[in-house]
Amino acid sequence: MDRKTIHSEARTNALPGWKDCQWFAVVTAMGLGGCGGGGSSVDEVPLPPITATSDVPESDEDAARFLTQATFGTRSSDIDLLNANGFTGWIQWQKILPSSLERPGLEAQDAAGADVYQQHRVYAWWRNAVAGHDQLRQRLAWALSQIFVVSDVAGALGNDPIGMAEYYDVLVQNALGNYRDLLEDVTLSPVMGRYLSMLGNEKADPLHNIRPDENYAREVMQLFTIGLHELNPDGSRALDGDGDPIPTYDQDTIENFARVFTGWNYADADSWHWPDSNYRPMEPWLAYHDTDAKTLLGGVLLPANQTPAEDLTASLDNLFQHQNVGPFIGRMLIQRLVTSNPSSEYVGRVAAVFADDGTGERGDLFEVAKAILLDEEARNGHADDPVNFGKLKEPLLRQTALWRAFAAGSAIGTYQDGWPEGSWGQAPLRSPSVFNFYSPFYRPPGEMLDNGLFGPEFQITTHTLITSGTNRLHDLVLWLNDSNSGLDGDDVYIRTAYERGLAADPVALVDHLDLLLMAGGMSAWMKDVVVDRVTHVSMSDGGYDRVTEAIYLIVTSPEGAVQR
Amino acid sequence: MSGSKRGTCSMGDSHNVSRRGLLKVGAGAAGLYAMRDLAMVSSFGARGAGGYRALVCVFLYGGNDSFNMLVPTSNARYAEYLAARQNLAVPAEDLLPITPTTNDGITYGIHPSCTELRSLFDAGSLAIVRNVGTLIGPLTKAQYQAGVAAVPPQLFSHSDQQFQWQTGVSGSAENVGWGGRVADVAGSLNVGSQLAMNLSLSGANTFQVGHDTLPYNLGVNGAIQLSGLFQNWNQDRTAAFEALLDAPQSNRLVRQFAGIQQQAIDVQGVVTSALSSAPTLTTVFPNTGLGRQLRMVARMISIRSSVSASRQVFFVSRGGFDTHDDQEQDQPGLYSDISQCLAAFQAAMVELGISDSVTAFTGSDFGRTLTSNGDGSDHGWGSHHLVLGGGVRGGDLYGTMPSFQMGGVDDVGGGRLLPTTSVDQYSATLARWYGLTEPQIAQVFPNVANFASSDLGLML
Repeated sequence: MDRKTIHSEARTNALPGWKDCQWFAVVTAMGLGGCGGGGSSVDEVPLPPITATSDVPESDEDAARFLTQATFGTRSSDIDLLNANGFTGWIQWQKILPSSLERPGLEAQDAAGADVYQQHRVYAWWRNAVAGHDQLRQRLAWALSQIFVVSDVAGALGNDPIGMAEYYDVLVQNALGNYRDLLEDVTLSPVMGRYLSMLGNEKADPLHNIRPDENYAREVMQLFTIGLHELNPDGSRALDGDGDPIPTYDQDTIENFARVFTGWNYADADSWHWPDSNYRPMEPWLAYHDTDAKTLLGGVLLPANQTPAEDLTASLDNLFQHQNVGPFIGRMLIQRLVTSNPSSEYVGRVAAVFADDGTGERGDLFEVAKAILLDEEARNGHADDPVNFGKLKEPLLRQTALWRAFAAGSAIGTYQDGWPEGSWGQAPLRSPSVFNFYSPFYRPPGEMLDNGLFGPEFQITTHTLITSGTNRLHDLVLWLNDSNSGLDGDDVYIRTAYERGLAADPVALVDHLDLLLMAGGMSAWMKDVVVDRVTHVSMSDGGYDRVTEAIYLIVTSPEGAVQR
Repeated sequence: MSGSKRGTCSMGDSHNVSRRGLLKVGAGAAGLYAMRDLAMVSSFGARGAGGYRALVCVFLYGGNDSFNMLVPTSNARYAEYLAARQNLAVPAEDLLPITPTTNDGITYGIHPSCTELRSLFDAGSLAIVRNVGTLIGPLTKAQYQAGVAAVPPQLFSHSDQQFQWQTGVSGSAENVGWGGRVADVAGSLNVGSQLAMNLSLSGANTFQVGHDTLPYNLGVNGAIQLSGLFQNWNQDRTAAFEALLDAPQSNRLVRQFAGIQQQAIDVQGVVTSALSSAPTLTTVFPNTGLGRQLRMVARMISIRSSVSASRQVFFVSRGGFDTHDDQEQDQPGLYSDISQCLAAFQAAMVELGISDSVTAFTGSDFGRTLTSNGDGSDHGWGSHHLVLGGGVRGGDLYGTMPSFQMGGVDDVGGGRLLPTTSVDQYSATLARWYGLTEPQIAQVFPNVANFASSDLGLML
């Protein structure tokens, strides 16, 4: 398939220049300059060709459901692409696309003498999420950023936007790689090092009652690898003879790992206590490393007198090889992409791929992502278990889906929405703590709790935030659109030309919006309400009001808020 | 309890229930209770049905290192403290001396950033409860080490210990908090109220989730209104928006979302209307996250009559207490914020003439290690806590002061201190003041009977 077909816009809205800017990061990284704040277009790097497979979607709705799970929002052109090339063809093509990054653009901005703050990192996040071609990689990175959590809410990181951008880029670059590499890159990131205080962590000083810091040792086990309880291969809890859960580790294990994670500091530091900061991987200082023997999970013994790197490698291997990692991480990734309540069979199938991708490799995240998305439960859960299947859309994904569906961009090419948490309770790398915006085990009180259903995203769906989110959508749809002649150059607005062409036929309009925004899942009841309302909106403005009224009602509705 | 659990039980089995059913979930608690056994009201103690009572939970997320908040200053005790804490210790000369009513032979000082708390202590409205933590029953160090007695699961883990603090039942996996269970048994007191008894200024939490009642979440500016809806010019859009909330739904997540949006709409009108006639507070609150939350709590308390509330439980929080790093630099700011915010809140309650009826208390994940990791402390267990209000027998210390001796009777390793008072005892004391009868205390705190007393004696 040639590039022209990839860029098919048969059913969407052209925005001059909007696709060009996504290459900013790649282009800048190659030293060719970039579109930066100005948004002028640059030469686009040609996309690698896509190789079709035979597993094409059964319908446009089938394609749209997949895209809701695998990307930041459905576009008509992507439905066409899937229909032409198959699910597997699309997934394999995604793997070979260049990564859209954050740091290079921020560094260019810095080099040009402009201030760089946290919001600039968030602008880049929106750009890559909304306009990046590497959608699957970006969606996985976004999911991983909610597992390997760091946050600029922490004082130590608030003034390091370039380091934070690099941390996100590390997730992007590893998102379709191997989990073991990801774990090591995260562990050695100085941003994680600051956040969970492994950076500068030193061996015990018994004279002063000083012990190694236990922060990273604890959270890398509880949150990043194995969790609190021994799991069966299908993610259910293993039980002891008394029917009780079995803890994966105890305080003694934590203290041993805390000793492993000693002796690391900023790269090229010329002082242990007063190092200069940078974003490169941390480097070892033997003098500050605990060189006594250590006991890891499963009684694995690390001999005395190993270097910091030897201890680290062996310990990360020890964690990585634990049988919990596949089901523990697999379940969380399923929750981020597909459904809040996967069956144990689904978790088990994904965990099996984590254990062995078919070539004997453990931890292949690309194959794990593929297994998650192509699983029978992902593809047919909405029909097989309509009562419980699906997930509340993450707040930011409601906004990206709207922006992608209607080719949103600003006149100057940037996506300047630097503090989305005020409306949504969510922003990239900005959760209140290492426990993310919500727990993967959160059960919303009421009917869902009574039925044992998890619903992580409901933890930030408070009475206040549900209203501020609806109000944000009100502004994004009814104000920030192409009928508004009073917009500023940096206002991101949706384009509705194609939809206006359908506006004279309300049923056709709502069917089209149903496909783009709800993967065709709109109930007949809801369709009647929206069509009826739209029919009563005047066409005298050429259809602008009809289109935006319909979009607003759909994206704020309960049905529209849940991905199924 | 009546047969209909939260009014939603039937919904679990039906796919075609409108959101009007869900409406009863949170905001409609009073409507539900009005139909229940009104005799329950009279089962409340003498203090029950009469005046207003409110509890304000101030949760310190991350695990407050309270061993620097209240410090023993007698020579031998301070020497133990210094030996254990080393570079984390507050210099003796910086501590603000206090004189507790009860003389236990130890002298004490308060962290220098807590000047307002010291004044409140001196004035008799602040009490400190020492070394509180999650426990299933009384526990000695020997039993803990030998593993021969029940120990709360997942000690030292943030999420688990927050959960256990908020449930008030260590070791239970049930996702209901003691504030929620209090509302389950006491909700009938708010006769005619459309507002839930539990109000959160800090989002979702376990503390306020009950078996039969749910909390309502407010923002620091009250309840916000929906843009472009519920006005004369957009009646048609509003009708469509509401019709979509009402649509019959098969999917439970869709129903959950619709229910929350509907509650937000219903209660917003009540709260906004009541707040519009709230008295202007002259008390100035710190313009911090905690200050803004407590200011809205004070404003909500000021309009209690217009929302027909005679009992309310509030939840506010502040993060930043997980001081693994830079503790010496960060702790003064954390403490001065707590101190100034609590003092402003108490001043506002005095200004409203309601201070005898409002009690604020702290909770936190856990205490921290006495020992240092270089520039901070790690996750511990027992910790000191603050109880504030006109109904508090203040100016005194409660519970037992633990030994700070490394490897001593209370140190289970690295300066993690075995609690000497359980969260259950602490919580039951507060719930009894709120108006729960002894049978209700036993119901809400099933483990408290394991301990010598469920009343720490700190409430008037």
